[in-house]
Amino acid sequence: MIEYKNVTFRHKSGTVALKEINLKIGEGELLAIVGTNGAGKTTLIRHLNGLLKPSSGNVYVFGIDTKKATVSTLSKRVGMVFQNSDHQLFSNTVEEEITFGLKNFGYDYVKAKERAETMMRFFGLTALKDRAPLTLSGGEKKRVCMAAVLAWEPEVLVLDEPTVGQDFINKKKLYQAIVETNAAGRTVIIVTHDVEFIWPLQPRILVMSSGRIVRDGRASDIFVDEGLLRSANLIMPQLAEISNRIGMAPAALDINQLLEVKDNWLRI
Amino acid sequence: MTAVIEFKDFSFIYEGEKEAAVKHISFSVEKGDILLIAGISGSGKSTILRAMNGLIPHMYNGVYEGEVLIEGKSVLDTPMNELSRSIGFVFQNPENQIFAFSVERDVAFGLENQGFSSEEIRERVAWATGMLGISDLRKMAPFELSDGQKQRTAIAGVLALKPNILILDEPTSLLDPLTAKETLALISDLNKELGLTCIIVEHRLELAAPIANKMLVISKGEVRNFGRLKDVIVDPVIYLSGISIPPLIELQKALGIDDVRLTIDSFIREIVHR
Amino acid sequence: MIEGFIFRRGGSVIQRRDPRVKLLLAAFLIVISLISTNSYGVVLTLIFILSVSIIARVIKRMTKLTLFTIPFAIFIFIINYVVGLGVLASGIIAVRFINIVIASSTFFITTSPDELEYVMRWLKLPRDFIFAFVTAVRFVPVLMLDFYSIADAQKSRGLQVDVRNPLKWARNLIPILIPLMVNSFMRSEQLAEAMEARGYGSVKVPTSMYKLRLNLGDYIMTGLTLFICSGMMYFLVTL
Repeated sequence: MIEYKNVTFRHKSGTVALKEINLKIGEGELLAIVGTNGAGKTTLIRHLNGLLKPSSGNVYVFGIDTKKATVSTLSKRVGMVFQNSDHQLFSNTVEEEITFGLKNFGYDYVKAKERAETMMRFFGLTALKDRAPLTLSGGEKKRVCMAAVLAWEPEVLVLDEPTVGQDFINKKKLYQAIVETNAAGRTVIIVTHDVEFIWPLQPRILVMSSGRIVRDGRASDIFVDEGLLRSANLIMPQLAEISNRIGMAPAALDINQLLEVKDNWLRI
Repeated sequence: MTAVIEFKDFSFIYEGEKEAAVKHISFSVEKGDILLIAGISGSGKSTILRAMNGLIPHMYNGVYEGEVLIEGKSVLDTPMNELSRSIGFVFQNPENQIFAFSVERDVAFGLENQGFSSEEIRERVAWATGMLGISDLRKMAPFELSDGQKQRTAIAGVLALKPNILILDEPTSLLDPLTAKETLALISDLNKELGLTCIIVEHRLELAAPIANKMLVISKGEVRNFGRLKDVIVDPVIYLSGISIPPLIELQKALGIDDVRLTIDSFIREIVHR
Repeated sequence: MIEGFIFRRGGSVIQRRDPRVKLLLAAFLIVISLISTNSYGVVLTLIFILSVSIIARVIKRMTKLTLFTIPFAIFIFIINYVVGLGVLASGIIAVRFINIVIASSTFFITTSPDELEYVMRWLKLPRDFIFAFVTAVRFVPVLMLDFYSIADAQKSRGLQVDVRNPLKWARNLIPILIPLMVNSFMRSEQLAEAMEARGYGSVKVPTSMYKLRLNLGDYIMTGLTLFICSGMMYFLVTL
């Protein structure tokens, strides 16, 4: 459904940000992209809706060559939520903010309002409907941004560092939204450093380094590989590390799995 | 032990607001402590930090009640420039606190503002960049630095003023995990080597808890719990305040361990049989 | 355009000089480009300024800047031609324009913002003015990145920026300009807090980490500048 074929991307200044990327992402997949800052994660996802076009090679999204399509037609199907909420909020009210994309994509007034209401209910924003998005808390802003993109029901949802600066309660809500979106058959792609957050999601993981994909595999394999994690500036999720150290494989996804076998490892 | 920071029934209402941002805050920090402040966004954390370094009341107006004492002196009567010598403040986004075009000039920024002599400035810049391990980067421009290096530059710029207290407002939230861990380890080193009292606001408890010894939980402008970190971190009030507990702590709570271990290393060493 | 004015570190004979010497050189170049008024003069001046760029090893960026000014020069040429000046006279005016632009950017291309700050301090400009200037230069690239990120975010929400109708185009800029303004405002507020926290304004005249000091190379360069540039000026006036 999404395919990168030999994609290389060079900045105007000449620096190569992506090197010969070959990648296939299937329908309904849950994918996390990790790696150090500057490894090429952001550049990689900017190719998904045509914000960047390959210097050589091709990116196909639903069979469409992104070089031959506009950002707007691709964005209709690939929704992207940016890291910094303050980079996209500008409307007078939360409701207007959510309908902005819908209007751009040609939804009529009634349908747009209906979609916005559904989204506000889903993200617990109904009470904030008439508030100015810029006056909301960081967590609420993030939810408005998510709602504003999910509103037009893109088949692929891309999240760039969704948990940065988010507290526990809001992370939980984000987690829920990701699970439900993915369960509804949509592809979800997350760029993140937050291993604790994605560990229980057990997504497919791409590890990037210097513009290349250095590993592509399951979280259960990649997040227990200490050397690999260090090369990507990551730290092993605590549950994975504890499981590792007590010799439990596969690693526990929640503390209950550790408690079930506590007789095997508990000293006191 | 003497309290270097003391909040005495402190409340503050920002000018133009109806609700108090913080209410009846009382706690004290002793020399050499590392205090971890935990609370969700909008809980009043920033207000407490601003009240410590004097931005409240010197830059933000409002209704000020109670007292905040820094090294025994009331913040109300101490001018900002005097406070900036005894309290260093590192902000969340390093990009917004680097003013100069080279690392060394930025580290010198505060010293130049305070009127130190050229020789003293060069000496202190060399010392501070050395402490932070960025001596090699002295001539680099801000846009040539990685995020971690930027944050080190920001810390060095504050450290160069040789404060007794260092406040760090979510210093690692924009860093990747390993860089965040290294930055926090560095803060722990500064605390040990210089006896620097540190105040850290941090969401990632799994990284920050191992280096701190005290913890303050704040929610809706009020202190929910304050005391020894090991005692506070297991208090259920934490959930109600919207703070996430690292799985390591959760596991020990479920096992009924009172004296929780804060690192996986000590947990494995002391609790797991091999 | 910005490319031409942004300093990159370099170690050429000219770049290493004291910023005041570079200021003197640039001042001479500007005067020369102003007094050259005939056809030989303007071409000679152009060659002269570009030679300085070669010695300073900034010719690549200077060429970019020159190419950038050409459309404006052509515009100036056409205007002058249309109002009745001859081809030669219009051409001279156009080349002079290029000369003035690149002569005045010689200083900015060879001087780091850091050195510029020292020159401004040496000129005893008000502290706040210097700080405002330095901060503005420092944050140009940061704000540019903000701008691109905001534009990307809004394009991803279906915003069309390449529309023909100018009214619609202006209206479609709103979703980009509002966040840009809000972000700049938030940035400046955080900067203000950070300044306060590091004692900005504690003393009336802040001290400096380094003091500008002329070395032998600077004296030689000053002598050369005075000698060659006065010669050039004399030659241009008598030509």
